[in-house]
Parts: sequence; C-alpha cells; structure tokens
Amino acid sequence: MSSEESFNVDNSSLFKSLNDNTYGSSSATIKHYKLSIRNLDAWFGAKQALKKINLDIMPNTATAIIGPSGCGKTTLIRCLNRMHEMTPGAGARGQVILDGIDIYDNKRVDPVIIKRRIGMVFQKPNPFPTMSIYDNVAAGLKLNGVKNKGLISEIVKESLEAAVLWDEVKNELDKPGMGLSGGQQQRLCIARALAMQPEILLMDEPTSALDPIASSKIEELVYNLKKDLAIIIVTHNMQQAARVSDYAAFMYLGELIEYGPTNQIFKNPKKELTERYISGKFG
Amino acid sequence: MTRLLDLGIDRIHNIIMDMAKLSESSVLTAIESYEEGTGLKRQIFDWSEKLRTLQEEVADLAIELIARYQPVATDLRFIRSCMEISYGFSRFGRYAYDIVDVLETMGSISDCDKSTVLEMAGTVREMIQLSIHSLRLRDKDAAQKLYQMDDTVDTLYRKYLREIITLKTNQDNKFTDPRCYISALLILRYLERISDHACYIGDSVHYIATGVSSPRR
Amino acid sequence: MQQKESRQENYREKIQDIMSRQSSKKKLIDRIMSAVAIVCVISALIPLASILIEVVKNGISAISIEFLTQPPGSFFLGHGGIAPAIQGTLIVVGLASLIGAPVGVLAGIYLSEYAGNGIFPSMVRFFNDVLTGVPSIVMGIVGYVTIVLLLGSFSVLAGALALSIIMIPIVVRVTEETFKIVPNSIREAAHSLGIPKWKITLFITMKSAKNGILTGIVLAISRITGETAPLIMTILGTSLFFTSFTGPIDALPLRIWRLASQPYESAHSQGWGAALVLILIVLILSVVLRLLVQRKAGFKINRATF
Repeated sequence: MSSEESFNVDNSSLFKSLNDNTYGSSSATIKHYKLSIRNLDAWFGAKQALKKINLDIMPNTATAIIGPSGCGKTTLIRCLNRMHEMTPGAGARGQVILDGIDIYDNKRVDPVIIKRRIGMVFQKPNPFPTMSIYDNVAAGLKLNGVKNKGLISEIVKESLEAAVLWDEVKNELDKPGMGLSGGQQQRLCIARALAMQPEILLMDEPTSALDPIASSKIEELVYNLKKDLAIIIVTHNMQQAARVSDYAAFMYLGELIEYGPTNQIFKNPKKELTERYISGKFG
Repeated sequence: MTRLLDLGIDRIHNIIMDMAKLSESSVLTAIESYEEGTGLKRQIFDWSEKLRTLQEEVADLAIELIARYQPVATDLRFIRSCMEISYGFSRFGRYAYDIVDVLETMGSISDCDKSTVLEMAGTVREMIQLSIHSLRLRDKDAAQKLYQMDDTVDTLYRKYLREIITLKTNQDNKFTDPRCYISALLILRYLERISDHACYIGDSVHYIATGVSSPRR
Repeated sequence: MQQKESRQENYREKIQDIMSRQSSKKKLIDRIMSAVAIVCVISALIPLASILIEVVKNGISAISIEFLTQPPGSFFLGHGGIAPAIQGTLIVVGLASLIGAPVGVLAGIYLSEYAGNGIFPSMVRFFNDVLTGVPSIVMGIVGYVTIVLLLGSFSVLAGALALSIIMIPIVVRVTEETFKIVPNSIREAAHSLGIPKWKITLFITMKSAKNGILTGIVLAISRITGETAPLIMTILGTSLFFTSFTGPIDALPLRIWRLASQPYESAHSQGWGAALVLILIVLILSVVLRLLVQRKAGFKINRATF
C-alpha cells in the first residue's frame, strides 16, 4: 500500500510518471495561469447559457469540460475565442484573460486577430472543400498575409507532423482535402489550426464523429501537443475526459460545479452532483 | 436509475457480506474449539477453502466490472476496497484454521490456563463485529476505534510474552505443560493478526467513504 | 413471456399480410409511374429536338464563308451575310455581361453574407424577384427612355443597359442561393483561423460557390443573347459594322426578325442560317465557360459534397 502515500500529492503518481511536464504539485504554488475566466456570463437572446463562470487554465495542460447536454460547455469554449457572439442574438459579458490581457476588452483586442492565438477544432471535420491538403493547412497563413513560400512550406510540414498526419499524406499534398477519411480530415483540421501557432487550442467534441481507432489517434495527439499549448477539450465521453486530461471541469445548467485535477475528480469528487454525473446516475 | 454497474456492485457486496458471516463464524468456532476442546478442524478447513474461493470470485468480478463499466469515484473506490476486504476475510478464515490446527497438533490442553487467550479472543471478536458493521454502514470512524482496540490486543500479547519469558527465568516449581504455553502463544499470535486485518478492513471502509487512506501505523 | 411472444407473432402475421397484399399493387403502380415519367420526358424533348432539327435542316444551306463575314446585301438576291449581326450580338451581350455579372454577383453576395432578414434586404429580394418577371419589352422601353433619348441616338450602350437589367436579377438570385448552400461550417472554420470576413467571402466561400454562380451567369447570358424586344427599341439594327458605342448596331435576333419579315425565299433561308448561328454561339459559350471552370477547379469534385 505504499504507493498510496504518494497519492497525497495533487497529481497522482500514475500521472506523474506519464506527464513529466504536467503542472506538478510543487509548481502549483506559482500562480501563472495561461487563461483566466472571470465572472463570465453568456446569453442566447434572453436565455442565459453561462452563469458566472470562474476558471483558471494552466499552460501546457489538457483540460476537459464535461457535463450533460445543454450544460453550456460548447458555449463556454466559443466564448473563449470570441466566436460565441457571431451567432445572431448571442452575447457575453465578463473577462477572459489571456496572458494578462482581457480578450473582451475591445479597445485593446481585435476579435478577429485574437483567434490567431486561440485556435479551434470543431465536432464535424470541416476542411475547405475546394482546396488541396497543402492549401488547407496553409490557408490560415496565406489569407493572413504570409507570403514567404519557404516558410509556409516548413510550417505546413511541421503542423501535419504535429497532427500525426504527415506520414500518411506527404506524397499526396496536392490531393483534395475532402478525399481523406473522417479521422484524417479531423487531423487535417487540427493541422490547419496548428499552423497558426496558437497558444491555446479549443476542441469541441473532436472525436464524437470518429471511430475508436481514429479517436485514439487524436487522443495521443493531444497528449503530445501539451508540450507547446494549453488544450481545452469539450467532451461528452467521460472515459475520454478521464484518459486525456490533466484537469477536468464539470458543468451543469450553465454553472461550473466542480473543477480540479482529473484523477481527483474521477476518484474522489467533492460535490455530490459531480459524483452522480460521472457515475452515470444521470445525464 | 439502475445502471448495469449497479448489478455488479450489488453482487460484489453480497459476496463480501457472505464472506463476512462465514469468516466471523470460522473465528468464533475456532475460539470455541479452543475453549471447549471440540475438534471441528474439517469444518473450519472447508470454510477456509470456501472463503478462498469467494475471494477469487470477488477479484474476478472486480476486474470484470472495471473492464466493462469504467467505474469512477465511490464505485471505483468500493471495488478496489472490496478486493482488499475480501482478502482480509479470507485471512480470518485461514487463521481460524491455523488455530484449530494448533489445537489438533497439541492434543488435549483442557487443563491449561486459557484466560489470556479468551480475553484477547473477546476483544478480537468485538473487532470483527465492528469491522463488519462499519462495512455495512460505511462508517469511516470505525477505523479509529479499531486501532485503539488493536492497541489493547498488542499490549495483551506483549504482556503474555513477557510473562512466559519471566516464568522460565523464575524457575517456578509449578511445572506446567509446555504445550499450554506454546498453544497459547501461537493462538495469541493468530488472534493478533486477525485484529490487524480487522483494522485494515476499517481502513478500507474509511477509504471508500472519504477517498483518503488513513495513515498506517 | 409466452403471451408477449404470441402477441408479437400476431402483429407480425397481420402486418405482413397487409404489406404483402400491397406489394403486388405497388409494383404495378411503380411501373405505371415509370412509364408516365418516360412519356413526359419524351414529350418534353420532342419540341426541342424538332426545333433543332428544323433549324439545322433549313439553316445549314445558308452557311458559307460569305454568309459569316459579309455585311447584308440585297434581300432579293440573297447576297451578303450577317457578319455585322454576329459582331453586334457579341459586343452588346459582352458589354451587358460586363455590367450585369459583377453587379449581380456582388448584390447576391450582399444578400447572402451581409444582409440579414430585415426590412431592407427582404424588400430587395422581393423586387429582385419581381424584376425577373418583367417583360423584356419593358426593359427596352427603359433603355429607350434613359439612354436613347439622353444621347439622342440608338446605341450599343442602350442595348447593353437593357440587357444587363434583364441579366442582373437572374444572377443575383443564383448567387444568393449558391452562397446559401455553402455549409456554414466552412465559414466557421475560416473564422476560427482569424481570417477577416471579406476574405472569407471572397476567397473561401466564393471558391465553393464558383461553379454554381458561373453556371447561373452562363444561363443568364444565354437568355439575353436571344432577347429581341429590348433590342428593337435600343440598338435599332443596321447593316453596318460596329462604329461606336453611342451608335446603332445590328444583332442576330434583330437580323433574324428582319429576314423573316421579308417576302423573299432567299431572305428566309438566310434567316434560318442566322438562327443556326445564334444557337451555335450560345452552345459554344456554354461549353467554353464550363471547360474554364473545370480547369480552374483543378480536379473534378463531386458536386454534392462541394
């Protein structure tokens, strides 16, 4: 039973050995958050979808957001890169502080440009249909003014490697993006987002449309990406959340119920509601 | 809403409770055996075997539940603890058998002074009952009480040990059958181990309830 | 358990009975429907085929190098050709397209991407639909009243204007519809890369919509190439080649009409020839534009998946 002793630490010993670069307990005392959400409210018309969300995201971690349908998890991440307000009638109020600057402060932040620092991957893979694989990955760069062909080419290769797709497509970069399988298309979308060198990657149920093997490839990918980015994944698959994340946030009816290290949430949650949800007793 | 997992959890719970009853009976019967001199080795042996089988069943069922249903939180802690607790009960059965085995080996010891053993047996019986009770009620404070009782058991054991040693050196004229001392010592040892396992069961119950393991002493 | 099973069997028997009785009826109805559909197709194709055959049959004899390159001569003698008409059609239609296509596409983009469902956009859409139904002679009158009276002469400009007004509503409609079909997920993906809206519209959404829009433009061009009424009141028609944008010019539909109104057989023959040429021009136009689009796209994409 001696292994239990080390469980007193914030990160379980299991994850300590797997995630050497995870925010370990000793450095948790340094309050260096990558993204801080403060009192975030959000609406669709008159209906309030998010209620006073307060959450801190650490750098180089994967955070899972879980909760039953309609709890606001997708709304939350769409607020994090200012895509929520694009829906007609939708609005948000509060602060989302990225490295010290509130992205909702319109005097200092351009909602279009901020999306280059906070990338997003969607539930259904959506590569640009008229473009080749290469052009898909390069689209963000080219359309944002990057002209140096050599630089673009390097970044495309690196992004496809990070998305674990390079080996499969390196000889077919000019083939249409839509010709790939579902899992490959999703990895293509990830590469496209990575090409912008974002600091945070938001993933909205990235594997819910994929088969188990494709899903596990993407989970491994997330694990590797943590070296460079903070990743926030919305998922309704609890086991995926448990596998992939370092921190987990449980939401219910627009509120953040509990947030903590994943192994604590899944072994010993503090709130009754959290326990009932993750045990499958509702939702 | 009954989950598929609940069927499995209920089954493990039932097996554990069966083991509890069985192991309690084993220990009590073994002590009775010592007290009355009745030879029930065969029966206790069978019970011990049964407990071993049940423990295997619990372990198999536990990993099946984990593999199939990915339990989390309280369910997961319960399953893990059941694996430990079932081992504890199987140990009760084994020590009960060991006690009866000693009695058989020693032969008749009806003239021996059985007071110390019976005193410890009383405490141990209480501890077994307390541990089973705490398991049923998921009482996290039982562990505390059990450790206190364990202290008295340890104290009693050391006291008897010292007595025997000093007895020898005192060269008392009252020559008593060495079998008395040997059997008593062995049985005390087994009882002391039973009390340790009762404490471990209390610890497991504490873990199920709180998710934190109490520090072992 | 027993009761449940027999109930299921009971239902199964009943519905299978009903369905199998229906299926033989259904097969007959299926065949009848197929036959009716085929008959409809044939009856739709017959007029089309017969027109084409008539035109080719009657017109092919008039085609010659002289016919295609010479200005009209004496009707009676059947000399000369329709070269100015060909030139005129190309110029007027070309100019009309240059005006109509961009305006139509941009208006369509506005309606689809930038306007919502407010009062103003709804009104624009409504009036757009109304315009598509306005008789083309009215467009001719508009051209007459605005440009002809203004400039004091029948002119290419007037004709191009009248034709472009016919073209614009069609292009607007097609553009808006095509843009709307492009799935929103593509725009969202582009947004998430930090690309500004106008770039998304022009470089990403447009790429998916391009095929549809070009098809629409080709259809609109084919339509205006054949319009006669508006040309009557705007370009007048002459026997001379193109002189200036502010002067009159000939066009094929006008020429065909003129030739057909003559009492001479030779003129009629030339008329058929002109009709054949007109049809060929439209055909070539469609094919060329189609090829250009395919090549630009680079690879054949299944239309359904955009």
